[in-house]
Amino acid sequence: MSAQTYKKKYEISPSGDLPDKMTIYQDCMNTFNESPVNAKRCRLLISRLLRLLANGDTFPQNEATALFFSISKLFQHQSDSLRQSVYLAIKELSGISEDVLMATSSIMKDVQNGSDLIKPNALRSLTYVLDESTAFSAERLLKSAVVSKNPSISSAALCTSYNLLPISDVTIKRFANETQEAIVDLKQFVLLDEASEFYPTSTFTTQYHALGLIYQLKRNDKMALLKLVNQFSSGNALKNQFAMVQLVKIVDDLIHRDTQLISNFETLLTSWLDSKYESVQLETAKLITSFATHHSHLVGNRLFSNAVSTLQTMLSTPRVTSRFAALRVLNRISMVSPEKIVVCNPELESLINDSNRNVSTYAITTLLKTGTAKNISSLISTITKFFHEVSDDFKIIIIDAVRTLSLNFPQEWKPILDFLTDVLKNSEGGFNYKNSIVEAIIEIVSFIPQAKELAMEQLCDFIEDCEFNEILVRVLHLLGKEGPHTSTPSLYVRHIYNRVVLENSIIRSAAVVALSKFALIKNNTPLAESVVGLLKRISDDEDDEVRDRATISLKFIDSAKKNPVGEELLHSKYTYDLSSLEKKLTSYMSSNSDAFKTPFDVTSIPKYTEDEVKAMELKKKQQSFNSSTEELGTKFTDEAEETGKRLDSATYHGANLDEHSKDLQSTKYIDELLSIEQFKEFGSLINSSKTFPLTETEAEFVVNGVKHLFKEHVVLQFNITNTLTDVALDNVAVVCSSEDQESSELKELFTIPVDRLLPSEESACYVAFKKPEGVVMESFLNNLTFTTRELNPDTKLPFDDDEGFQDEYEIDPLVLNAGDYIKSSFVGDFSASFDELPNENVAVYNVQESMSLQEVIDKLIVNTSCLALENTQYAQNETNQHTLKLFGKSALNGTKIALIVKIVKSKKGIALKAQGRGEDATLSSDLVNGLM
Amino acid sequence: MGNFFSSMFDRLWGVNKELRILILGLDGAGKTTILYRLQIGEVVTTKPTIGFNVETLTYKNLKLNVWDLGGQTSIRPYWRCYYADTAAVIFVVDSTDKDRMGTASKELHLMLQEEELQDAALLVFANKQDQPGALSASEVSKELNLVELKDRSWSIVASSAIKGEGISEGLDWLIDVIKDEQL
Ligand SMILES: Nc1nc2c(ncn2[C@@H]2O[C@H](COP(=O)(O)OP(=O)(O)O)[C@@H](O)[C@H]2O)c(=O)[nH]1
Ligand SMILES: [Mg+2]
Repeated sequence: MSAQTYKKKYEISPSGDLPDKMTIYQDCMNTFNESPVNAKRCRLLISRLLRLLANGDTFPQNEATALFFSISKLFQHQSDSLRQSVYLAIKELSGISEDVLMATSSIMKDVQNGSDLIKPNALRSLTYVLDESTAFSAERLLKSAVVSKNPSISSAALCTSYNLLPISDVTIKRFANETQEAIVDLKQFVLLDEASEFYPTSTFTTQYHALGLIYQLKRNDKMALLKLVNQFSSGNALKNQFAMVQLVKIVDDLIHRDTQLISNFETLLTSWLDSKYESVQLETAKLITSFATHHSHLVGNRLFSNAVSTLQTMLSTPRVTSRFAALRVLNRISMVSPEKIVVCNPELESLINDSNRNVSTYAITTLLKTGTAKNISSLISTITKFFHEVSDDFKIIIIDAVRTLSLNFPQEWKPILDFLTDVLKNSEGGFNYKNSIVEAIIEIVSFIPQAKELAMEQLCDFIEDCEFNEILVRVLHLLGKEGPHTSTPSLYVRHIYNRVVLENSIIRSAAVVALSKFALIKNNTPLAESVVGLLKRISDDEDDEVRDRATISLKFIDSAKKNPVGEELLHSKYTYDLSSLEKKLTSYMSSNSDAFKTPFDVTSIPKYTEDEVKAMELKKKQQSFNSSTEELGTKFTDEAEETGKRLDSATYHGANLDEHSKDLQSTKYIDELLSIEQFKEFGSLINSSKTFPLTETEAEFVVNGVKHLFKEHVVLQFNITNTLTDVALDNVAVVCSSEDQESSELKELFTIPVDRLLPSEESACYVAFKKPEGVVMESFLNNLTFTTRELNPDTKLPFDDDEGFQDEYEIDPLVLNAGDYIKSSFVGDFSASFDELPNENVAVYNVQESMSLQEVIDKLIVNTSCLALENTQYAQNETNQHTLKLFGKSALNGTKIALIVKIVKSKKGIALKAQGRGEDATLSSDLVNGLM
Repeated sequence: MGNFFSSMFDRLWGVNKELRILILGLDGAGKTTILYRLQIGEVVTTKPTIGFNVETLTYKNLKLNVWDLGGQTSIRPYWRCYYADTAAVIFVVDSTDKDRMGTASKELHLMLQEEELQDAALLVFANKQDQPGALSASEVSKELNLVELKDRSWSIVASSAIKGEGISEGLDWLIDVIKDEQL
């Protein structure tokens, strides 16, 4: 018998290659619509489809919808494993397909009658099909699944409820009791046969899910959260480590709402530092140390050092993730209070050679922060040894740390600059890497006067051989800006001109602009003349742009001899506020009604001088050190409210983003203010304060205030948020009365009220005053007045027949002080500038309140609007004294003002001695006498 | 013996073949109630169907795949996604809902125009006959303009899903027609 057999391969290519997208689509459409359903083949095709989507491929909406409908037909087949695949497919398609609600009834049937295997899948997919109008119909199903004895089912129901919160919180809020029960109930898997005794009986993840949900349900109720912590922190109530971490985060939330609570939790936190789970230890250490950055006086020394020693121990654990996590926390501490973690230096040093590069890099950057003036050079030589082994990304992190070092220890600039120069010239790397080095050097040029010329020379060397246009252009700009004021301008002219000869047109154009700035040098006529000669030569360049720039520069130079405008154009003393310039330009372009006959009005855009820009940059850097130490723990409490978004998407963002959004917000306030007709006649805005909270953040009406100064007017802006859910406020105004009516120099002109404030809306009310020219200081008592009107739940508008009733609400006072007339400003050499200034004033204060040194410092910086220099914005720990150096300029007339404040803390309180000098005698005395 | 005959039968009627049957009609007509009356023989409590229910049942040795589609206005546009390969349509009318007879008629005729349903047989249940004031089967037939239907086997049967009356009569008729025409 001849035996010849052939078995058809079941279409699975062994290499795991995927057929192309169209084939998969066609196969799916054909197979899913077959009757009867071939379950095995359908599963295979779904897995292909899922792989395709997982690879990042996608389908246009109509095809995705067609796929969804054909997959929905597979509900006719009862195979559990096919059903599980169907659920995975629905989940993936829900994002790109329309009409997924058509699966709702079938899913709910599985939730009710399906096997335990598919119930969790069915429950989880409810998240994707339900919307506001259908969510309630799943209420009973979800509720009974939450209390299921089966941990997978209960967890799935809890997760779905959590995800449905933004869609229908009314429904989910009814699950509070069941959710609470799910934490208490220690659910176990049912063991089906003997073999399964090797599996864990439960991970108790349900506890984590339940705690996560209950926190969302009760987050507005402080007492309930306290009760929760009490209930579940005692004994052995929580078995799951993630649940325990969640509990730590709840405590974090609570102490941020009410800082005094920290003392109640001290014992608990200490015990958590000894938890058998590293994750709990870590989260607790994170909480304690980050809380301490802002409230150091509230955190006992013992607790803090316990936290640090927990972290320290973790540095030598075998698990690399734990080492890394502990390092990260230490690194954050190192940015604000490096002296507090010096004890960890031996462990940190041994991690420099850790086989994991992430760990070693973090160790080094942390050491750079804990470093003292004494060991900077030895640290830098350590880095140099291994620097070339790490990837670009880590190099950038290290460069960043070195850069911070240069700001903190300006007197140690030499080894730092040497290091930067060395790596700039002798290492390979991409744009981001090189750019970060150049940035660090530019920072040295801008902020460390004694290092300036040497640093610039290094940059000159570098651009002789630099392949990145962007970097070259930046450096050329810097040379043009700073070069004319140095001792050897001709050096820079030579380097710049080399670029004109050797480079492409982009760089040549930048070089022309830089060169032209040397033409106005006052004390070196031959140089100025030869620059003009060079520019004339360049006006024959083959490139249009280069030629144009040379020609126009020559014109400006020519006119500058007679007319200061030319000089201003060549070497501008101001830069505009870029974000408001951009906004105004966009609206100018889009609202063009007369073919641009009306010229663009630039006067309403804030302008900054060089020093102001530097001051803002430095301030931003100081703040970003600070805010990067804040933990996500503090954020997840107050920002998840945004509707429509998944809750988890709101829990994480970077700190810098936050800074940026604050900036944007203040620009927004200014734009809104200036767009109001009544304020147009006040002229241009001189200064705007930062935003001050005037109520608790948990109040029914949250109010914050901004002070705006004009030459002869003051405008107080009150931003009011209505946090009530069922009441609208009509005719909302703020009544401001001067604390000292008799002697008030301000005359109230008018108030612009808010017509109607619906729930969760924010709007601004303005109060305008006439003020004499010059500095006027005043303290305002404020009362919010409004008419409350109940809302019709159907229309979300007030009932027509409800007249509402008048009410008022007292908010905190707002003080107009000398600081409001000051803008922060930068000087390279504070002591010299201080000594030069006239009009010294001295005042002494005693602060009775219990405040930490840091809080006093922060308050002084805010009240004076000055810039803290020489890194004096941080209190050194373990000392009771501090000297704060502040510098600023009058917003009214630009005169300089400098302040040295000595702060001494004793048992009796805090004593301040302020010594101020300024070109404007009254401002100087007003500032010194109105500090606190 | 019985076994022998039934397997003969299976071969004759092709036991692998599953018949697709759609239950359509306005919301609240009793579609879901009829589906489960057929499947488990009991009256279940229903909620408005968001989407569809599908059940497989064996009736007189035939495997039926019965699809009960939601009848709300928002869901009717999706009926057409499920028309392909349909052997028969069961259209359920709430005989007490006189106000919406016009709407029911419109939806019915609109549906029957679809290319994919040209070969499908039609069974109409004039449901809720147990209720006082229910229109009779012939009155419902008139309201729905059934006589206009040509080139299609159709029948209207008075039914009460709650009491279980008329359902199997209707289905028997339907199965006979399908066997005659399609198998
Ligand atoms: N009195 C009566 N009520 C019925 C009958 N059939 C269904 N119902 C009720 O009508 C309502 C809607 O039924 P349902 O099957 O959900 O309708 P569907 O929207 O077409 O699926 C339910 O309250 C049923 O109990 C019937 O024959 N007689
Ligand atoms: Mg129904």
